[in-house]
Amino acid sequence: MKLSDIQARCDRVPFFRHLGFSVTEANDTHFVARMPFEQRHIGNPVLDTYHGGIIASFMEAIASLTVLGDLASLPPKPINLTVDYLRPGLPGTLNTRAMVTRKGRRMSSVETVAWLEDEAKPVAKGLFHFLLV
Amino acid sequence: MSDTKDAERFAMIASVWNSRAKGLIAEMNLKIERANRQGVEIRMPFNPDFCLDEEGTMLHGGVLTALLDSAFGLANFLAIEDVQTMATLDLRVDYLRPASSRADVIVFAECYRQTRHIAFGSGKIWFDTGDCEEVARGSATFALTRGKGGLLDKMNIGGPGG
Repeated sequence: MKLSDIQARCDRVPFFRHLGFSVTEANDTHFVARMPFEQRHIGNPVLDTYHGGIIASFMEAIASLTVLGDLASLPPKPINLTVDYLRPGLPGTLNTRAMVTRKGRRMSSVETVAWLEDEAKPVAKGLFHFLLV
Repeated sequence: MSDTKDAERFAMIASVWNSRAKGLIAEMNLKIERANRQGVEIRMPFNPDFCLDEEGTMLHGGVLTALLDSAFGLANFLAIEDVQTMATLDLRVDYLRPASSRADVIVFAECYRQTRHIAFGSGKIWFDTGDCEEVARGSATFALTRGKGGLLDKMNIGGPGG
């Protein structure tokens, strides 16, 4: 899959446009994307930090791309998620790496990590399950 | 605290939350339907920007997660009188049904247990369609600091009981 084709598919999803991320790396089991900070992403109105739901949504979006069969297929169905919030989501470009842990015929498990400037200092980690049928 | 004072405090928190909304909470255009120590019920109107498809037939799950996270925050403010700051430790969401409706979304959230340092929250989401079938369920834990001068004071609303 070419990055430009993946981005074009993402740009057809209204909520992905709302998040405003770009995919920077993509292969069969592993995606990376970056999302510039926007006012509409704020959760805490005093500290202007990212809304926890935006961080979770961004990670879920990139996780779902890793288990997308091909660009023409329907999006995988999310079953559930767990997010571990590790550091404050300070204003700044947020990055997410999503890695497929296990891809079966019906189910898939994907791990994600989100960071601001240093991947070794993650803002959040996530675990996402998808139904592929 | 008396019931009247409680009611005043809840009304004030709800009014600040509605009027000073910013960022995602403003985008979601939330309306508090019910707010007390037992929990909150919040309404989110349909928004095509939150959908998976251009036709607007299905909401993205992430919106439901964001909605639960927001509602947990408000439920904590109502249930914990001296909360100063709170940080989400973890959040778990089960997507029980496809979110395929253009009806308003309703979220219920409660803080069902608080200790000095931790708050435990639980919540659920359904569409306002009459059958009230649950679309998602979530739970979260929060790290608390307690004391004077909390987030609501910093939003300039202090006042008695705030």
